Amino acid sequence: MLKVEGLRAGYGAINILWDLTFEVRDGEIVAILGSNGAGKTTMVRTVCGMLRPSAGSVLFNGEELAKKNSRAVLDSGIVQVPEGRQLFTEMTVLENLEMGAFNKETRAAFQQNLRKVYQWFPKLEERAKQSAGTLSGGEQQMVAVARALIGMPKLLILDEPSLGLAPNIVDDILAVASSMARNDGISVMLVEQDITKALACADRGYVIENGRIALTGSAAELSANEHVKKAYLGI
Amino acid sequence: MSIFLQACVNGLLMGGFYSLMGMGQNVIFGVMKIVNFCHGEMLMVGMYLTYVLSTTFGLDPYLCVPLVAILMFCLGAVIQHTLITPSLGTKSFTNLLFLTVGLGLLLSNGALVLFGSEYRTIPTTYSQTYISLGPVNLALPRLISFGVLIVISVVLFAFLKYTKTGKQIRAVSQNPVGAEVVGINTKRIYILTYGIGTALAGVAGALLTGFYTIFPTAGASFGFRALIVVVVGGLGSIPGAFFAGIFLGLLETMVALFISPSYSDLIVFITFIVILVVRQLIIIRRK
Repeated sequence: MLKVEGLRAGYGAINILWDLTFEVRDGEIVAILGSNGAGKTTMVRTVCGMLRPSAGSVLFNGEELAKKNSRAVLDSGIVQVPEGRQLFTEMTVLENLEMGAFNKETRAAFQQNLRKVYQWFPKLEERAKQSAGTLSGGEQQMVAVARALIGMPKLLILDEPSLGLAPNIVDDILAVASSMARNDGISVMLVEQDITKALACADRGYVIENGRIALTGSAAELSANEHVKKAYLGI
Repeated sequence: MSIFLQACVNGLLMGGFYSLMGMGQNVIFGVMKIVNFCHGEMLMVGMYLTYVLSTTFGLDPYLCVPLVAILMFCLGAVIQHTLITPSLGTKSFTNLLFLTVGLGLLLSNGALVLFGSEYRTIPTTYSQTYISLGPVNLALPRLISFGVLIVISVVLFAFLKYTKTGKQIRAVSQNPVGAEVVGINTKRIYILTYGIGTALAGVAGALLTGFYTIFPTAGASFGFRALIVVVVGGLGSIPGAFFAGIFLGLLETMVALFISPSYSDLIVFITFIVILVVRQLIIIRRK
């Protein structure tokens, strides 16, 4: 489904990603792991068309996205829940969700998808008319996930969903993500620092270190790996 | 008493213009976080545009308003696309300061070259028509202008609140990164926003021609007042700009009535400084 090959990107003269290669298959949950500053968010921004790569390719269902802008990437079916949520804090929850419908197709299906999203996150229906900035961190993360789902993703990228949230809320959000992958055939790319949580729900994982893939394997293999244990799990 | 009421009404009618200027400035600031220092000159361009349209084609100045709006929107869009958007990437505030101040100088001196320095007016059959409302006399052109101003303000507000594009404009102003995440074309929104801001200034100019003289530096005092309105009403806030504009208009006429017309600029700027100082003190105390 998503095949990233030899991806190289950075900001101006500073290169962050060096020769990144990985893939996400249909209906799979793939964890992209790494510590702060490893290049995870840069990778997300590059895949999503917000940053031009200097080399490499991003193939999604056979379509080359490396030179496309963020709107074209959304049209192809890759939708992200960005790091730090990036909500429109002075707009209502409902307005935020409306902004998630970026093209004709998603706008036509908006009401239907809205009902679905409200089933996942009933809190949001209660808070629909409230401005997003007044919500708690966990609720704001729900809005960010819901806004992405309104965009009918084929591949959903969750960038650091655990950041600054209570553990039980993170579990809720990851449960929704896994259920989508299992039941609705949506692939999920879970970009995380919290390796234990991420590997608990992922099928496979990649570990990024200094802008390169340092390790890859199934969730079980990675959890058992000595390097991962030492460097990330503190065991 | 009737003099006081008359002054209130005149202040209100003038304040509407400051509101319109402030709202235009605020739409631009909200989205791009830049202060448009040629906003007053855009008002002046709107005045001359109305003058040319009405003297060449014999159009009534008020009928020119939609045309002026469209032309000024295009002018703003072109300026945004060719000059401002490329400068936004540099992240340097001074570039945009020089750019917009320079554009302002270019426009007012351009008007001087094209039209000379003489004061011009557009004569209409109704320019001296007054309507009596109890003790208050209303000059018809001012009244029409105010009506149009209110309609435009309401339309602008509704546009930003309810339309898809309006929501996109608000989204970009609140969170440009979030806007990119949901695939909003920020450059298109920039063009639209600067176009709308410029059109609002141009329309203010067109509406002024009914009772105000046209000269190359006519926009300067309105440009300054737009800045005051924006700062007092809150940067980026459309309703704030609306009410601050009305307040400024009322303040001016009250000063003219109770003290002296020659002090009105002085008092306006002193009030502005006092408001800034008081607000700063409140912010410091809160911290």
